[in-house]
Amino acid sequence: MKESNNEGFSRRDFLGIAGVATLATVGLNGEGESTLPSIDPKGFETKEYQSDVLVIGGGVAGVFAATKARDAGADVMLVVKGGLGTSGQTPFAKGVFSFDAKESGVSLDEFTNKVSRSSLGTNNAIYTKQMAEHSKARVEELRSWGFFDQVLCRDPLTHPIKEREIPVMERIMITHLIKEEGKIAGAMGFGIDEQSLYLFRAKSVILCTGAGGFKPNGFPISDLTHDGTVMAYNIGAKVTGKEWNDGHVGSDKNSAASFDNWHGMFEQVPSTTSVEIRHDLGVDLNYQAYKKGPPVMMGPPQQGATFVVGGPFRPVEFSQMHGERRDHPPRGEHRGPPPRDERRGPPPGSNGTNVGGASAGLSIHKSEGLVPINEQCESTIQGLYAAGDALGSYMAGAIYTQIGSSMAGSSVQGAIAGEASAKYAKTIAMPKIPKSKVNKIKEEILAPLYRESGYSPAWVTQTLQGVMIPNFVLYIKKELMMQSALAYVEELQSHHSPMLKASSLHELRLAHETTNMILSAQMKLKASLMRTESRCSHYRVDYPDMDNENWQVWINIYKGKDGTMEFEKQPFGTWAKV
Amino acid sequence: MSITSIRGCIGCGDCVRACPTDVIRLDAKTGKAFIAYVEDCQICHLCRMYCPVDAIIISPEKMIPVVVSWR
Repeated sequence: MKESNNEGFSRRDFLGIAGVATLATVGLNGEGESTLPSIDPKGFETKEYQSDVLVIGGGVAGVFAATKARDAGADVMLVVKGGLGTSGQTPFAKGVFSFDAKESGVSLDEFTNKVSRSSLGTNNAIYTKQMAEHSKARVEELRSWGFFDQVLCRDPLTHPIKEREIPVMERIMITHLIKEEGKIAGAMGFGIDEQSLYLFRAKSVILCTGAGGFKPNGFPISDLTHDGTVMAYNIGAKVTGKEWNDGHVGSDKNSAASFDNWHGMFEQVPSTTSVEIRHDLGVDLNYQAYKKGPPVMMGPPQQGATFVVGGPFRPVEFSQMHGERRDHPPRGEHRGPPPRDERRGPPPGSNGTNVGGASAGLSIHKSEGLVPINEQCESTIQGLYAAGDALGSYMAGAIYTQIGSSMAGSSVQGAIAGEASAKYAKTIAMPKIPKSKVNKIKEEILAPLYRESGYSPAWVTQTLQGVMIPNFVLYIKKELMMQSALAYVEELQSHHSPMLKASSLHELRLAHETTNMILSAQMKLKASLMRTESRCSHYRVDYPDMDNENWQVWINIYKGKDGTMEFEKQPFGTWAKV
Repeated sequence: MSITSIRGCIGCGDCVRACPTDVIRLDAKTGKAFIAYVEDCQICHLCRMYCPVDAIIISPEKMIPVVVSWR
């Protein structure tokens, strides 16, 4: 329950030992007091590994990446911050899109074009089409692993990994990617359970690290803190999509209860979804809440919903509002997750009503992350690939368009990145990483443990949440508020981030996550300030209209030569330059 | 208060592995699971669903320690 070095209960206090860093954790198991062993920042050993391909992340993208890289002949390792199949968003995703032109009566091109119309041109049509084209094959593989036979996905996702004897290392947080001679050379991080640092040398690395938020309460994404985006940015990769926002609502009663807010959906067995292209903004509900105050009311006006004039633009073809009843149920199997409009009702059994802000800081699936330079999920750094929510592929565009395409897209992209990465790895020799670089990274990883004074990650995170989560900052945007928020965030970045202090491995993880969230907050505010228009899930009251003359572009962010954050425009429908 | 108690633990460690936010740990001495970092519980119920002996009790209410002072 408590960190022990400066609070009441500590092992040191009990035993009267004057150690350097006392860091036992005391908690309760219902049967008395429990402790964790103390740690000593000087006592870390570095364990070294090497593989052709290193996959970082253990969700569905990571599993497909590792599996396909192995099948393509590469020697593969998979490392994950949590557990395989139990971290990120994968454990909570219950619908997987399976495209079938015959069954849906929609051709591949018609599907792609409709997604482009709904997303107002923000999608990368090549990735949209690729997802649909390969979705059925990936769904069949998931089915063969037992994914659609049970609620929990750890065993089904472990199946192909075990079958191929791919080594999996769990509960290791990777904090640094390593680049040598312009190419990816590996990654480094630390163990959450024991005092070890981990150095992975690899010819190619695939980031399957998901996206991130600001540890919002009520949404099961508290382990997603933009780790991949930040690591890649730090070695010079271009990242994108920071101005878009997911707009899920939560309940005003027990708003921190993720499970309860999702209607028990977490206990459902996954199933497939078929063609149903929507224009799920989310931000329009937040606009209602901003104008009228909570709660967010849904449904047609005669059922009590209050429509607010103005707000985010919705194309006429997709004018159906959330909560409206469909005349016809969608074709095909649809017994899995309810469509988002139905999901948004108040949780059964709770008397709560809907309020905005549940997913604070999260972007739209597949629209935030590393910039791809081709349809093989390759980033702007040679040998570095990304898949799923870690890749800014704009597969769905800057709003959510096809139900279940998130899981399908992560599976498809994971498989493609895995194959491409294995092929690339055959062309180069195992990179060398200088000892001096390893020592420097080791110092950066352990720094929060060495600090004798400084700020707790809990305080800095709560301060960041207080700045970023209010609805007048990231959802209903205007210049003055974003500039003001940016001033706070830049203060946290320059002063507090270098003073983050940790007294346990758990807190060391939180310290690095907090640093990553602060950098992402800066990116989100600056990209949102730059986009002087409104489009999809980016809504500015000071620029409420879409500006097709200047803004048919994606915004890429990269680290400039002097270390400053640089921005560039990339026209829709083009590939980024390296 | 989020994850509330663990009673009748058999020490299999499945909940530790299942928790995305590292809330639960195994006691170094007894080998049984205990709630180490309750403030980071996101009330997702994965630990409860993975527990083979239904030992975990979770409440939808969450109390976050107030850290408004500059710690």
